[in-house]
Amino acid sequence: MEAQHLQVTSGLSFAEPEVDALLKHSVRTQLESLLTQKLTVEQRVQQLQQSFVDATTLVLSDTETQHQVLVKAFDAMYDQAVQSMALAGLSQALLTRQYVSASGLIMSPHNCKHTIKDVYRIKGYARGIDQAIQSKLKHVSSITVLYPACGPFAPLLLPLLSYYKDSQKFTGQQIQVILADVHPGAILALTQLVKDLQLDEYILCIEEVDATEYKPKESIDLLVLEAMQHGFTKEGQLSIAKHLVQFLKIDGWMIPQNISVRGMMVIGETEFNQQWKEVEYSHSLNTDTDAQRDRVELGELMSINKSTLLNMQELELQDGVKVIQASQVTLPVDVDDMDKRILAVYAHIDTFAQEGVGQYDSGITHPRPDMTFYIDTKPRDVEHTHFVANSGDTVQFYYQLTGLPGFVPVKV
Amino acid sequence: MKKYAFFTGGCQSLTAIQYLHQSGQLACVVLVDAQPTPDLMQLQHWLQQSGIKTLAYNLSDDTDLLSQLDSLAVNRGLIYLFRHKVRPALIQYFSGHLVNIHPSPLPDYRGPFPLYWQLRNGEDKTKLTLHQVTELLDCGDIATDLEIEIHPFDTISCVQYKVAQALPELVAKYCQLDEKQGITWHKQDEKSDKTAPQVEQQQLIVNWHKQTSKQVVNMARAGNADAGCALFQFRQEMFQLLQASVVESPLIGVQAGTVIEVDRHTGLVIKTINGALRLDVIGTQQGVFDGYRFAVLFGLEAGFTLNN
Repeated sequence: MEAQHLQVTSGLSFAEPEVDALLKHSVRTQLESLLTQKLTVEQRVQQLQQSFVDATTLVLSDTETQHQVLVKAFDAMYDQAVQSMALAGLSQALLTRQYVSASGLIMSPHNCKHTIKDVYRIKGYARGIDQAIQSKLKHVSSITVLYPACGPFAPLLLPLLSYYKDSQKFTGQQIQVILADVHPGAILALTQLVKDLQLDEYILCIEEVDATEYKPKESIDLLVLEAMQHGFTKEGQLSIAKHLVQFLKIDGWMIPQNISVRGMMVIGETEFNQQWKEVEYSHSLNTDTDAQRDRVELGELMSINKSTLLNMQELELQDGVKVIQASQVTLPVDVDDMDKRILAVYAHIDTFAQEGVGQYDSGITHPRPDMTFYIDTKPRDVEHTHFVANSGDTVQFYYQLTGLPGFVPVKV
Repeated sequence: MKKYAFFTGGCQSLTAIQYLHQSGQLACVVLVDAQPTPDLMQLQHWLQQSGIKTLAYNLSDDTDLLSQLDSLAVNRGLIYLFRHKVRPALIQYFSGHLVNIHPSPLPDYRGPFPLYWQLRNGEDKTKLTLHQVTELLDCGDIATDLEIEIHPFDTISCVQYKVAQALPELVAKYCQLDEKQGITWHKQDEKSDKTAPQVEQQQLIVNWHKQTSKQVVNMARAGNADAGCALFQFRQEMFQLLQASVVESPLIGVQAGTVIEVDRHTGLVIKTINGALRLDVIGTQQGVFDGYRFAVLFGLEAGFTLNN
């Protein structure tokens, strides 16, 4: 049976790649589409390029586009990208390897492939990066862009570069991009995708490297950062940013220009369930006024931008854990139902100019409930991971730079 | 002439019974008159095929048994894996010649689960201890013992097998001493910090906040594959941890119980309070998997923290 199957496969040299069984299982829809359409290599590449251009054209347009239209365009881009990934010939080991490094979570290519479907993250970044590039190129003839921890699809840049190439807005002589990722599987997929998109002229190099240790030879005009999950946890965004900001030119920009991480006390049911019952999809434009009014905002816990990064001081605790001092917050009094509220941490991302990614727009800005933070109440069994305080207490937040970064509250 | 009654409840006694039978010293085997288990039924079948006389141990009264032992002229009693407390009348019948074999270096690990707790505590050797039966369980004077090495990879089944293989040597040693009237009875220390109680369900669940890597490894092999299987919780479901290995991890500041790696070659690695642990073999209702396949199939991702 096996030999027979191989013979059939080899007969379709243009269509079905040698794909690991696990990847084949998870992207079978895309592969079936590849097979049924009987596309030649040229046709597949053309469809891939077109899907990237179409999605970017929509998000860069100043005309409002319907949510479903955007979703459809991004799904098409995703389908095409995973076909390219299948062609990259990743082994199952590379496809699924995921681990916690000293500075953050490293996701598997298998898990990060969905990022390219995160419509409003890519929209907020693409529009911001586009404006930043335009601004830069008004004054210089070429710029160098660094995109660390970019994953297998580099979704914040490759769609935009495809659009530039197609529209001839900017050339590879004007924009030189360094793509970097620590995961060898991501590098393989990325190399294949760049080749399929025929974007080589824009790519200065693809580096397999830990972004927290990478020392680019070039001075960087734009540093594109996204490696984060909701609540500004788990991934090594801050460690990467803190390390690479030193390689920015004096007038270089970090995209996003600012990340504001904020805390709030919410009634979980209202915030995460009731608020979304009547709307089509979760987005900052669709939040419910009553639910928003019901929040008890604690204020900004941390602000991450070029200036704060350059001045950021690490403190080393006795057990070797490094932390960064974040904000001090006084817990409000006179909130009757404080004991029923949970802490939720969320980020607002200002990518560039007026562009950004608001709360609930993307997985990375979705408020993250912290079930270990108790005010005016106590858990049934108190464990060392729990934080217990009362209204009126002052809380100092620290950000720990460990394998799973995140905020740690300490009662002052 | 020494004539033995062998009190037991399972096939792991077969090697000792065979020895006594072949050396012409076995008068009968006493089995509990209760709901038969598959193990007990297999033993009964073998005894029947071998033409060995069996007597029933009544859980409430010794009268019939004593009469039958007397009619068979039984004057020695040997107990192994009997799991029932012997009543005073039976002890008196044997006049100090009723002995029990306990698989631990007594007075350590007195109780019903000695091998389980020795493995769980990471002991690297055990003893088969032959001692006089008294009304206090596992406390009688010791006649002789035999040391058995425990390999670091041994599961409870491995050690049970080793014990079964060593039984004839210990019984032979005792019989020869008895024959030559050379038994010297040694008193046991009254107390020991190491005990072997019944295993409670809660004790089978991995506590990531308290247990070291080595303790979880030992817990897994102590219960592999037995009723006392180690368990861990993931998304409200319990899974059996049949084998785990200690691995090094330089990570600091990561909560114990967190998945720190999922990799086809290095497997499923969990942070512990003193390093890390690879979950090698996991039992589920859908079958048995290595850690990597378990993680992929059940969606256990790096960064996820397992409950206690």
